[in-house]
Amino acid sequence: MNSMHHSAIVILLLSNAVKAGTILLFPTIGEIFTERAGILNLGIEGMMLIGAFSGFMVSYITHNPYLGFMAGVLSGGIASLIHAFISITLRGNQIVSGLALTIFGAGFTTFYGQKWINMNLDVAPQNIQLPLLSKIPFVGTILFNQDIIVYSSYALVAVAWFILYKTTIGMNLRAVGENAKAANAMGINVYKTRYIWTFFGGLMAGAGGAYLTISYAPFWLDGITAGRGWIAIALVIFAMWDPLKAIFGAYLFGSINALQFQLQAQGTTIPSAILNMLPYLVTFIVIVLSSIIVKTKHIQPPKELGVPYSREEK
Amino acid sequence: MFYFEKRKKIPKKLQITIPVVSILIGVLFGAVAILIVGINPYTVYKSLFLNAFGNWYAFSETLTAATPLLLISAGLILVFRMGIWNIGAYGQYIMGAIFSSYFAIFMPADIPKPLMLSMMVVGGMVGGMIWAIIPAILKVFWEVNEVISTLLLNYIALFVLKFLMYGSWKNPTSYGFPLSKPFPDSAQMPIIFEHTRISLGFIFAILAIIAIWFIISKTKFGYEAKIIGNNTTTAKYAGINVGKNIIIAMAISGALAGLAGMVQVSGIIHFLQVKINANYGYTSIIVAWISYLNPIVCFFSSIIFGGIASGGYSIQISMRVSYGIVGLIESIALFSLVGAQIFLNYTLRWKK
Repeated sequence: MNSMHHSAIVILLLSNAVKAGTILLFPTIGEIFTERAGILNLGIEGMMLIGAFSGFMVSYITHNPYLGFMAGVLSGGIASLIHAFISITLRGNQIVSGLALTIFGAGFTTFYGQKWINMNLDVAPQNIQLPLLSKIPFVGTILFNQDIIVYSSYALVAVAWFILYKTTIGMNLRAVGENAKAANAMGINVYKTRYIWTFFGGLMAGAGGAYLTISYAPFWLDGITAGRGWIAIALVIFAMWDPLKAIFGAYLFGSINALQFQLQAQGTTIPSAILNMLPYLVTFIVIVLSSIIVKTKHIQPPKELGVPYSREEK
Repeated sequence: MFYFEKRKKIPKKLQITIPVVSILIGVLFGAVAILIVGINPYTVYKSLFLNAFGNWYAFSETLTAATPLLLISAGLILVFRMGIWNIGAYGQYIMGAIFSSYFAIFMPADIPKPLMLSMMVVGGMVGGMIWAIIPAILKVFWEVNEVISTLLLNYIALFVLKFLMYGSWKNPTSYGFPLSKPFPDSAQMPIIFEHTRISLGFIFAILAIIAIWFIISKTKFGYEAKIIGNNTTTAKYAGINVGKNIIIAMAISGALAGLAGMVQVSGIIHFLQVKINANYGYTSIIVAWISYLNPIVCFFSSIIFGGIASGGYSIQISMRVSYGIVGLIESIALFSLVGAQIFLNYTLRWKK
């Protein structure tokens, strides 16, 4: 094999890693904002499944992957409102409600997805070479010969970082997650803020799920997200609630996914169970290490994460 | 506007009403879901109910499904009361099944039954325990969030099982199917009622729930668990070794989930395979919650959810209604329960 061929494989691999990473990047960014506002949503896996299913279904029916993507985004958002209502308005236990959302997403998509199992999509978002940027050697072909949805995820990260740290909106939402009573005293509507960012988290989980079925795995299977929602929740800790750091986490896991796929396609002798275990094993190790770092460096998660807020009580 | 006013006393009546109404709401939404796909929900539910409680055999299948639910949720009650979120029963169950199957697959088949089964019981409990102690230690010493660690360990356990089943534990004569060789008679748990699948495991489950009831209401450990659950800081000031208690409780919870896995492979399936109904690990979380972490209520909830699971399997086969309906009913019941929690402590008032 010549070296040209090798570098082509590496570029393909990393280009797929970006795609696989995008599936995780959306929900991780979303959950960072939700948690920053003080709401823990463990329902990402469920919302991703709902986004993946509706994204697949709408793309299949309309033959338009972008309509499908929008449908996936929206359905993830709608699903998150159940969690928002229970944990914000009714002040229910957020861990249990989030788990219920995951079970709901799995049940819902298994039930309605029965007829769609093993169907394939014949449309996918097309890659667009960005002028100039795609000409950058190596990196250009990996990062700037992608589809619009991947590009929008780059923009999302930048905008997310800017909103979170440089605007009043971001300041307010962080205030709500750190100390809801003080935020309320400052005139911030705690309920409204939490609703908005829980909904945003849902939209993003839906986006991740939809991107999975539209672009990465264009078919329908029960539980197609295969635990990616939980990896996204782990990535939030890995990123230490910072949208910029989320990129590294998401692409790291994207690379593992892509590598797994590549090795399997090449017919490796490594048992597939071990290959498939890899993302979870690595996440497990990463989460242990980042928890130790969070603890020793005294990085604090949002102080009132998971704590219900009530205006009436003093 | 509506607003919530704090109650002075928690009404006992609501602690029964809320779970019952929650399950009914789950069933109601499930009916709407069934209606949408153009099937008559009444016939589906009727068939589900008859397949769960309609006759002795149906009911025996319900008790068979209730056995792992009861074993697992017994342990979950203990840890949840301490505010420890063990979501890892799924993986602990798988590990229990793997560890116990080791004896059935690799030990001489002519070992006397009591000895073989004892080794399998201990093996299963140790397997589940190891898988629960790992996240417990990580939580106690490095504050690793146990929700995430236990969940990831679930996936890891599943792939360990797949690794074995597609690898060295596969029966060479299974035509490539990922099954172990069948368990010898000495490794099969005795059935306690003829013509059913209710095994000795059911007795274990009843003993387990009684033991958990005893621990939480009669022992110092149970008392300390309650204090830890209310407030970790208070518990520390009261001189309770919080870390030690968490590890012990997780070990018990893991051991019971592991035992449930053992009971399933030894009592029902009689070989090891990839599909060993590990989802009981997730359903048990719902069972424990819907029982308000009360062991006596948990006994009845396990039977109800065992019935939904068993009836759900039957209608999937007989009426081709997706098993997803069970997840829908369970999750909506759980949403209702968590959402209604507020009515235990508050009452709804109207203010102009």
